[in-house]
Amino acid sequence: MLTYTLRRLLILIPMLLFLSFLIYLGLELTPGDAVSYMISPERYATMDPAELEAVREALGLSDPFLIRYVKWLGGVIKGDFGYSLQSGVPIKDIVFDRLPATLELSAGAILISTIFGIFFGTISALKRGSIGDNALTLAGMLGVSVPRFIFGLLAILLFTFHLKWLPVGGRLRPGYEGFMDRLPHLIMPTLVLSSTLIAGVMRYSRASMLDAMNRDFMKTARSKGLPEWRVNFVHGLRVSLIPVIVLIAFRLPILLGGTVIIEQVFQWPGIGNEFIGAVRSRNYPIVMMIAFFTTFAVLFVSFLIDLFTALLDPRVKLD
Amino acid sequence: MKDDDVIISVKGLETFFYTNNRCNKAVNGVSFDIKKGKTLCVVGESGCGKSVTASSIMQLLPKLSRIENGEITYHSNEGDIRIDQLKKNGPKMRSIRGSDISMIFQDPMTALNPVYTIGFQIGENLQYHTDLNRAERKGQSIKLLKEMGIPLPEQRINEYPHQYSGGMRQRAMIAMAMACNPKVLIADEPTTALDVTIQAQIFELMDKLKEEHDTAIMLITHDMGVVTELADDVVVMYMGNIVENGTVDDVLRKPAHPYTKALLESIPVLGRGKNQVIEPIKGSTPDPYNRPKGCQFAPRCPFADSSCQVMPDESSISDTHSVRCLHPMEAV
Repeated sequence: MLTYTLRRLLILIPMLLFLSFLIYLGLELTPGDAVSYMISPERYATMDPAELEAVREALGLSDPFLIRYVKWLGGVIKGDFGYSLQSGVPIKDIVFDRLPATLELSAGAILISTIFGIFFGTISALKRGSIGDNALTLAGMLGVSVPRFIFGLLAILLFTFHLKWLPVGGRLRPGYEGFMDRLPHLIMPTLVLSSTLIAGVMRYSRASMLDAMNRDFMKTARSKGLPEWRVNFVHGLRVSLIPVIVLIAFRLPILLGGTVIIEQVFQWPGIGNEFIGAVRSRNYPIVMMIAFFTTFAVLFVSFLIDLFTALLDPRVKLD
Repeated sequence: MKDDDVIISVKGLETFFYTNNRCNKAVNGVSFDIKKGKTLCVVGESGCGKSVTASSIMQLLPKLSRIENGEITYHSNEGDIRIDQLKKNGPKMRSIRGSDISMIFQDPMTALNPVYTIGFQIGENLQYHTDLNRAERKGQSIKLLKEMGIPLPEQRINEYPHQYSGGMRQRAMIAMAMACNPKVLIADEPTTALDVTIQAQIFELMDKLKEEHDTAIMLITHDMGVVTELADDVVVMYMGNIVENGTVDDVLRKPAHPYTKALLESIPVLGRGKNQVIEPIKGSTPDPYNRPKGCQFAPRCPFADSSCQVMPDESSISDTHSVRCLHPMEAV
């Protein structure tokens, strides 16, 4: 178990290196650079090439590709995440400034979707074929297939323009500070973000529960004279949860970077919004750092999932 | 036949399955008795309604099936209980299941829950049928595993089903079923998933438990060898009917129904050499949705004639032996 954990953790390092290199390469191959974005097109066309070169030199953009990558990597290893090319603000500050907003949004959505997804999915399976099950199935299909931003726009239309219950976007109005002041801003993006997540978890846990309900051990449990709730929840649900938990865990990386579209729709000052801005302006140190964090999160979560499935399912051995 | 030594009597049981608006009469009027402390073997080919009969007694039928007609009476110490009239998962039925009547299944790997320890799964049974506290339940579970011949029960109790071997799993299953000292143990082909040497051990164990606890056993099996070894009484089923019913001597030595006879002739016998003639039963089992008229075995029966177009009634040959055939075979 311990050797397994250590080995898995060590494998993360070469994987991270490789992926970060790929991302860096991708950015390098994208046309244009930060300088061409910072300077207006009219001036850019008339500027002396030597002058442009000087700006690039100052920003460290004129070194060969590999040298720049190694420099960047060295910085990251030392804990120096670099500076924004445009504002010169340390990226560490930008990330830690933006991250809480994203976490607030996505943690809420994951929590809501886990609880309601499993609840509705299980009920749906237990009441298979009922009106409720059919309604939930339809809702689930809609939730899975309709893109989130459409839900977002519809929600804004309904709750902001027609009902005037909730603010259109943003995280906080000027002059307000506490969580209770933020809450009205938080409701709509969280619910919209969780809508598709709920639908996925629900469909999955319904299928998994139906599968568990047909297993032989359910009959054994009944043959012991256990009451139905115990048969269904202690025996059925417990077994059906294993794949569902894995599914949910694979979604944890959205805590760090998967909320881009929702943040755009609701003008949420999170990492996703920052990421889009940075890609547009070829602000590669920021793009690199956010991509790097997200990659790390995905890799780390898949490692956690392995540990967690071993806990949930005694048949899984980690050696 | 309603004497004191009957523990469960089944009368005219009909259990039907409804799928795609069609009705499969899986059990079509079956009557038999399970005697106290005796072993009743139910024999017959796949799909003849053996397992459905067992599930009917436990009220553990699948969703699409139900008991249409007939009586299942459990002669408990507190008087007779009509099992067929109890609510399927009602408190009364639940208090009987696992405590008075318990059941073991074909494949112990799938019949045990993979995510709970053996101790937990045995303890559950005790939790719902006895007043023992947690520690006592654990002690009792260890005792049970020991009785079933599982070595190191103190450690084994904390292990999961996948850590047991096939035979041990079935032993654990039996420990679970025997936890509350049931009056009747229903075993639905308990050794089909096990290899032959283990099969023998499991049957030995069941026989021992029958003697020691005075438990009646209803054993569903294909294996005629097992019937010879264990059975006191035998019921032969074909297409949802009992075709022959009697003591083990009656049925195996003096088979009266052509089907029973054919069944016995289709089994190789150890010691008769490799050139022995094995006579398979001609044809195959009819489609349950398109049954033959009258005697169900008639189309495959070498003795059938036009009178077999009518379903024969059960006729007694002796006090213990009855057969559902118009042309019962002479005792040889």
